[in-house]
This record gives sequence, C-alpha cells and structure tokens, in this order.
Amino acid sequence: MSARIRVNGVEKTLDVDPDMPLLWALRDVLGLTGTKYGCGQALCGACTVHLDGQVVRSCVTPVRRADGHEITTIEGLTPDGSHPLQRAWVELGVPQCGFCQAGQLMSAAALLKSKPRPTDAEIDQSMAGNLCRCGTYPRIRAAIRKAAGMPEEER
Amino acid sequence: MSSPVVVTRRSFLAGLNLSLGGLALGIFPDSALAAEPSAGTAKPAKESPTAGLDPNVFVHVAETGVVTIVCHRSEMGQGVRSSIPVLLADELGADMARVVVQQADGDKKYGDQNTDGSSSIRKGYDDVRRAGATARVMLIAAAAARWKVKPETCEARNHAVSHPPTKRTLGFGDLVKDAAKLPVPKKEDVKLRPKSELTRVSSASLPVLDAPALVKGAAAFGADVSLPGMLIAVIARPPVVGGKVVRVDPARALAVPGVKRVIEMPAPKRPYAFQPWGGVAVVAENTWAAMRGRAALEITWDHGENATYDSVAFRDDLLASVRAPGTPLRNTGDVDAAFAKAARVVEAEYVVPHLAQAPMEPPAAIARVEGGHCEVWAPTQHPQAARKEAARVLGLSEDKVTIHVTLLGGGFGRKSKADFVSEAAFIAREAAAPVRVQWTREDDIHHGYYNAVNAQRLRAALDERGKVIAWHHRTAFPPIGTLFGDQDRPNAGDLQQGVLDLALDIPNVRAEACPAKAHARIGWYRSVYNIFHAFAVGSLIDEIAHARGEDPRDVLLEIIGPARIHSLADLGIAKLANYGSPLTEHPVDAGRLRTVVERVTAAAKWSGRKKDGRAFGLAAHRSFVAYAAVVLAVVPDARHKVRVDEAWITMDAGTVVNRERVHAQLQGAIAMGISNTMFGGITMKAGITEQSNFRDMRIARIGDVPRKIHIDIVPSDGPPCGVGEPGVPPVGPALANAVFALTGQRIREMPFARALGV
Amino acid sequence: MPSPRVAVHPTSFIALTLALPLAVALGGCGPSTSLEPTAPAPPLRQVGPHELRVPADFEPIADVKQRSRALFLEVSRVLTHPRCINCHPNGDVPHQGMSLALHDPPALRGPDDHGVVGMECTGCHQDRNLELARVPGAPKWALAPIEMAWVGKTAHAICEQLKDPKRNGGKTLDEIAHHNGHDELVAWGFYPGADREPAPGTQAQLGALTEAWVKSGAECPPEGANQ
Repeated sequence: MSARIRVNGVEKTLDVDPDMPLLWALRDVLGLTGTKYGCGQALCGACTVHLDGQVVRSCVTPVRRADGHEITTIEGLTPDGSHPLQRAWVELGVPQCGFCQAGQLMSAAALLKSKPRPTDAEIDQSMAGNLCRCGTYPRIRAAIRKAAGMPEEER
Repeated sequence: MSSPVVVTRRSFLAGLNLSLGGLALGIFPDSALAAEPSAGTAKPAKESPTAGLDPNVFVHVAETGVVTIVCHRSEMGQGVRSSIPVLLADELGADMARVVVQQADGDKKYGDQNTDGSSSIRKGYDDVRRAGATARVMLIAAAAARWKVKPETCEARNHAVSHPPTKRTLGFGDLVKDAAKLPVPKKEDVKLRPKSELTRVSSASLPVLDAPALVKGAAAFGADVSLPGMLIAVIARPPVVGGKVVRVDPARALAVPGVKRVIEMPAPKRPYAFQPWGGVAVVAENTWAAMRGRAALEITWDHGENATYDSVAFRDDLLASVRAPGTPLRNTGDVDAAFAKAARVVEAEYVVPHLAQAPMEPPAAIARVEGGHCEVWAPTQHPQAARKEAARVLGLSEDKVTIHVTLLGGGFGRKSKADFVSEAAFIAREAAAPVRVQWTREDDIHHGYYNAVNAQRLRAALDERGKVIAWHHRTAFPPIGTLFGDQDRPNAGDLQQGVLDLALDIPNVRAEACPAKAHARIGWYRSVYNIFHAFAVGSLIDEIAHARGEDPRDVLLEIIGPARIHSLADLGIAKLANYGSPLTEHPVDAGRLRTVVERVTAAAKWSGRKKDGRAFGLAAHRSFVAYAAVVLAVVPDARHKVRVDEAWITMDAGTVVNRERVHAQLQGAIAMGISNTMFGGITMKAGITEQSNFRDMRIARIGDVPRKIHIDIVPSDGPPCGVGEPGVPPVGPALANAVFALTGQRIREMPFARALGV
Repeated sequence: MPSPRVAVHPTSFIALTLALPLAVALGGCGPSTSLEPTAPAPPLRQVGPHELRVPADFEPIADVKQRSRALFLEVSRVLTHPRCINCHPNGDVPHQGMSLALHDPPALRGPDDHGVVGMECTGCHQDRNLELARVPGAPKWALAPIEMAWVGKTAHAICEQLKDPKRNGGKTLDEIAHHNGHDELVAWGFYPGADREPAPGTQAQLGALTEAWVKSGAECPPEGANQ
C-alpha cells in the first residue's frame, strides 16, 4: 500500500506496511528522528505527534490511519524553535536528558492551542500521558504557564 | 530542521572527531549538527580546526579565536555538558559564546570517563580547572612576551589577555601562533585562579547547553544516528538469566517483509559481567520489521539454573538471612550486652525489591565493522569499558575500536554496562553491514541490571529515658560483585553506602552483612544501595521517635549527635572506601548532617507537621560524600490513597559548579524517589521478570509529583561532593514517615502501592 | 437480602451462574416490586462463566413477565462484565482490567466523553486491537455518557436506564436490540485482544437475547435480583 501523508507541510509518499506504526515511518523511512521511541504501548508519550492537530501516540498509530491526513512532528512545530513553549523550555532550562521533551512539547502545544490559559489541574490532566524519568515535571508546569503568559508559579 | 546525524564514509575516513550535538551555549544552536530535512547523506559538522594551541586533550584554541572544549563525561541529563566546559572556560577566561563543546570519544587519554557514582565534578574539578589554567598560562605568557611585561601583570578575561597598567589587549586568537610555540607548562607551574574569579560558575543560572537543539528534536541520541546501508536488529534474549537457545526455527521470521537475517548470539558464560545476553537476533531493514520478525521466531529455551528464582520465596530467604548472624563489618562497644540491659527495644524488618533504571531512552547502539576496524555510536556512560568490551567480543585490539558517545536519554546506571554495545559490534560483523541494535521497552525491563533486592533487620536498644544505647543492623542483598565472581554476601565496599558511613551518636553499634545469592544481573541504579539502607535507617529512627512519643526531628538530631567528625575508630570500621574520595577531604561529618536537617525542617516550618489534613515526614542521609535531607508533606488522594503535596530538600554538596543543574537534579531526585517508593519494583516468577512496560512497572507521572518543590543548596566553599545521586535516598524514608504520620500505617516494604492496595 | 452491587469479580460469575437457581434470584427473599404472584420458575440450563444462554433456554418460563426479567438478567451478564462496564464508569475515569482499576495512564472523560486535550481516547486507541502494543481498539473508542453509567448499579437500575430514551441516547427498544447485536464498540467486548477475558457468549447471542427481551415486554428485574 502507498500512503500519502502531509508531514510538516510536505507531501510524503510511504510505501510501507500499512500497519507500521507512524513512529517508525517517521524515524526509519523519513529520517525525522525528533520523535522518540520510549515504550511502544502508548504509555510514555515520547512518540507524540499531531494528527490533524490532535495529539496521537505515533508508536501505536498505524500509517494507514494517517493516510490522507496531516502530521506535525516536533521538527514542524516551528521552523526555528520560536514557539513560545520552545522558548520557555530553553529559558527555564526544562530539559534534563531531553529525550521525552519532544513529546512533552507536542502535548503542551496542543493544550495551549485549545486552552490558552490552562489551570494547574488542566495542565496535569493533559500532560499526564507524557512520562519524564528525569523528573523535570515542575519545570514543565512552569514553562507551560510562562508560554501562556501566566506567572510561573501560583502565588 | 533536524535530521539524524548521518555519518558519511568521507567523514569517517577523514578521522574527524564530529561533534554530535556539540553546541555553544544557546548562541550557535545549529553549529555542530548536520542539517538536512530528509534522510540521506548530510554535511559533516563544522570541523575542529587542527591548527592552533593544544595544551592538552581538553582544550584547543584556534587562530580564529574559537575555543573548543572537550567534554569527556557522558551527558545523561545531569548537566555535565553544561558544567565541565563552563568550569574550564571560566578558569581559562574564555567567553562561552565563542566556545564549541565537543563530546569525547572513549579514550584513556581523557582519564576516567566512567560517568557513574556522582563523580564528574567531585573527582574532575581540579583536573578540569588545570586543563583550562594551562591554556591560560600559555596565552598570558605569549602576550607578556609580546608586550615585554611580567606575566603576573596580565589577566585573561572575556576571551582576551589584557595588561591593565597599559590598557593593552589581545584576543586569544591573536596569541595562538605564539602560544603554540611555547612548551606546555608543568602541573606545578600552573596556578588555579582564586575561586572568587570564577564568575560564571556558581552564578545563579547557566544555560542548558543542548536545550535549543533538544526542543527542536535536533539533538542526537543513540538511535538517531543513521549510517548508509544500516540495518536494524531486535534480539530475542533468554527469558531467564543464564538461559540458552536449544532450538530456533527462523522460517516465519524470515518471511516477514523487510527481515534480512536471523543470527544466533553467543551465550554468555559465568561470571556474566557485561557480556551480551545471548539469544537470537532478527536483522531487518527497519525497526518495525525487526520487531515483527522477532515476534515470529520460534525458540525453545533451556532456562538454566535461575529458572527457579521466585521473588516471593526469595523474600523469605532474605528475611531468614537477616534473622541469623552475618559477617560483622562495623563494631563499637558491646551491642549484645547493651541489648541485654535495654529498657525497651524498637525493631523492624524492611524489604526493598529489585528496581529497574528504565531510562526513557531504551538501550540502543550502532556499530560498523569494516576493514578490521569497529566504529560505534552509543549512549554509553562508560565509553572506555564499551571500547574494551567491543574489542573483546570481536577479538580486536582496542585501538581498532572507536566509541563515539551520543547524548543519553537517561542513564541512571543502566548505560554504564557495555552489553548493548557488544551486541551491536557482534551483529555488525556477522551481518557485514552497519547495524543498530534496538532494545524495546520490554527488553529493557526484562533484561536489566537491576538494583539489588534487599532485606534488613534493624534493632535499637533504648534506656529508661528512651535514649538509644545500641544499634544493631543486618542487611542482606546480592551485591554488584556477583557480576564478576562469586560473592555470597555484601562486603565492606558495599556497606560503605549508608551503613558504615552512618553517623550515629550511639556507643554500641554493630552492622552485619548477611548472605544472599544473585539470580539476576545486579547493577548500579541512581544511589544504589543507599536507596534501601536510607529507607530502613530513616524509617527506624522515626519509629523510635513515635515509640517515645516525641518529635521525630528531635530524635533524629539526638541520634545523629553533636557536630563532629567521626573517625574510623568512632565508626568502628577498619577502612572506608568513601566513594573514592579521600577521607581527609570528605570525612563523615555529623555537623553537616545536622545542618541539612535543621535547614530543611526550618524551611518546611516543621512545627506545623500535622495539620489541615497534611502530615510531614523527615529523613536525612549521607551518600556520595554529600548530605541531603528531605521533608515531604502528604495528603489523602483519590487515585493512590496518598499523594506528596509539597517537598523540601536541602543538600550540602560542597562547592557547586552549576547551581541551576544541581537544582534540577534535586527536583528530579524527588520524582525518582517517589517512583521507587510508591510504584516501582521488579519481581520474578520461575526466573522470568513479571513486569514488562510502564503499565506494570509504573513510574511517577506529572500528577504524582508535588507542585511545590523547595530546593535549598547549602552555600559552601568545601571540596565538591556528589550531586546526581544523593537527593534520592532520603525520599523513601521521608515518604514512609509522612504516610505513617498521616494514616497511622507504617509501611516497611516498597512499593507502597501494594501495601495501599492501589 | 441486601441489594447487591452489580458483581464484577470474576469468580462471582461462576458462583452465580452455576449455583443459583433462578427461583432464589427472582425475589424469593425480599420485597418484590411486582404485584403479580411470583411462582417459582424452573431452573435454567447450567452454563459456564464464558457462555451465554440462548432465548430458547427461557421458553420453559411460562409467565411472560418473569421470562422477560430473566432474559434481562442474562443480558446483564454481558453488560456488567469488565469488558463492557469499564467504559461505563459512574465518574470521570475509565476502568481497566478485571477489578475496576482506574485507567492508567490517567485518562479522563472530558467535555464530551472522548477525553481531554492531549489525552483523547483516540490518541492511543485505534479502530482495532493492536497485538504487539497490547492497546485495545475499536471504531469510535470513547466513554459512554455519564447517563449511561453502569458501575455501582443494580441490574434493575441498569434496565430502567436502558429503557429510558432520555438516558439511552434517544433509542427505541428495537434500536437497543439492534445496537447490542451490531454495534462495533459492543462487538469489541467479545474480541478484546491480548490476554483480556472477553464478555460471555457472542454478540449475535447478545443481540438475540436483547430482541427476545424486547419482544417479551422489556420487563425489568426487581431490585435485589441477581444473575
């Protein structure tokens, strides 16, 4: 099967097993390695991308499902790292090892698009699918608030 | 735009030392990465200029003025790439905006590259500074000669040498030609700056070197490197440690589209050390095909001697072990006599299961074996060990093996083992193609170098006033030494972690090492044996306080005793490995332990430790020669019965190089401690690990970590101590103590989720 | 007799289906909501915990209303099985497994039963089961609306709920029967993938039972009735 997927604004043709998870099509076939493999069972969120703007875990999303749709990966979030979240992430030193951070950013970006000024509870609920083994969660919260133009910590 | 770092044949042959992810601090975010949006050959990174000043292997100054600093330790999130180069640059007088950081290959010329044991700054502080100072001395000498002034009247700052009396200045680049002609000064002729002149280091907020690349997905981790013609291998490893393949039918695997080869791996022989695990590898064109191929293999296993390993039964064995006398390794006074006349005894047994590091990036390594040379890209904590192991597996001399170190998506001790590198080297040779070995998450959890499983028995004898007059500690666990030979119980080197270096103001103390067999590969996991020793000690002290009906903080400080240095004789031990640091520089200092307890409880307003439906727990611990104390506030929770609502952590780590990264490490330590204590744990049944992914080996999610974590780093001029690990051990006992204060339930076994039924 | 919670523990299925004659179950010990005399019904054919009875098994029950109630109780063996009830929670969190464990990762109902942003149900669940990844899937994977919550409810309450157009998505009884027999999400309960225990019987059997229940008057079992 030949799938046609618009990846980061560019039309791509993928001649792969239609059941191949999008993650491996992105990484192995298209060479977009910003999206990471962490668990393969939609438990960790390291593989998060947007399918037509919605957060999906690419490790379980078959290529077949993305056929005819739009995919945005971390590489396509902005051309130059200028998303307010990416800026806040750098300013607040959010990444430790950084491996989970592409997934964190993609989830956070979807959150802010839908809820420009999320409450703390909403942040925790929407980010609950993204694991961070290094434990930089407090800074993820702070950076989301900063990118949303809110004070980093509840006063 | 990012891409995998594609290494071309040309760049390999040119022998360039490519900077994978090497960046200046946020200023030149794309300087070192090949950057093509799609797969294919990419331009190699900016070459390190070869002409210039090379005083040592750590720093190079080009005539252009660009300073290249080598980071010889692996970056796994602890911030070593944001710290070592800054320290060197600060000592040199370089401007980080004109510095390029290069990651070192595995090579003895860099000294100790084993990024383990919280030692990069602790052990490397002076050497790193001296490397920068040497360059500084040579540049100043060149300027002084040109200006015909005394070197002492010059200074190096902001990437230039200046002579204040005459206001003359020359940029580093302009001095390189002359400096390069000078002999490299001897160690004794290189003076370090006074610490007050290190202005960048210890400033409140240093940038995270790789953050700009990381947030774009442009930084290269192990699996991100791509070589032309590369194949992917996924390995079916023996389900039980020491198991072997009896029979394999590869037909169905070979029938999966994209699968190219099925290769049997060499079976390891005891002692296992870091040997590959054995099993059968499926080699394919892409990762998905390799995974599907592996699932299609039909293998008959001989599970071997560990097939009877059952965690439930083994727990009984461990408890039986600590209920009988062991080998005394610490002894003062007469513990038996003191217990005989005790007014009361407080005693308990504590159990901690195996724990898995589970870094977010599962192990992966890339190898290419061509023309009698092996080249590897791997997220390894120990590149020299990886070089040795890969050479051994291939039967090559080490100089025929090159290990490039990528960024690590977390290590926590897992990636200091070279097994996954050897696997890649072996398969690359057998497949006659470059190969990435990809571990799945299930592989990582099933086939791990787990933290040792442990049981302890702790007894305290109290006099009529409740004062502790004797302390009797037994601990049983299969130690890491079992990887390398037959060790039937922990030794003094193992017990240095939280048993022998424990400051106690108690006249009669005995600690015994009790036997425990190893049925799994035992490994290092962030703070290692301190996890369970601190758990038991910190919990029992709290139990003593509650038995006395007194404030746990008061009792803790009473047991630590007055501020003083404990000599080996005081501790009742013959020697102390002291994490490889000299005792003269890093003695066992009860005063420092007291201080962190006092500071953390003041910050938490300890007097309010039980009110408004919240309760506090406190614990303190010395590890990796640093001192850390934690207060946790817990509240009831709908999902997990209890939740940590707020945390305070105070750490005395001596001189701190990158305060900002230390702050991050302490935040992370709280999360990891909560993961270990509440949710973690690896168990075996019939020798096979029962857990397989994050659904049954859970770790803390964002909602499990408190919104407010208060970090207090004790200002200090003392020699640098460990930073990456010491924050973890006090979290477990603090949580146990907080849960007890909140609910009256004393949990003595991890993970708490089991005792809480969640 | 205390009004039982709808049983979800697996062993209770065995106990209830094999051991309890229907006479005891249908109001032998407690107040009945029906005014009709409840003559003891003949015992039903014994079936294993994974097997569903068929409409013919209920023919021996002469009284139509009693037969109708018994048919619903049989249907409720499917409805209250973990594969179904996990997505009919009475709160905002789906359940998992066989013991009403809370879904992990912490999924939430969200504003329209499809999750919250960043944690949408279809962010992880596909239109079919995934074997290597273990993730269960079916078309339109989502939570049942809160008015269709079944956890913690008796068979009687579920029955009333199912019949109420205000709480069943505006369905007629025939539409309910068709839904049970043909809906893709209902189908999933019988083919859940991985090592998950399926709901008893088959979807075709569920559809037939539901039809038979509707045809017999769609009577609801009294409070206190067990399967």
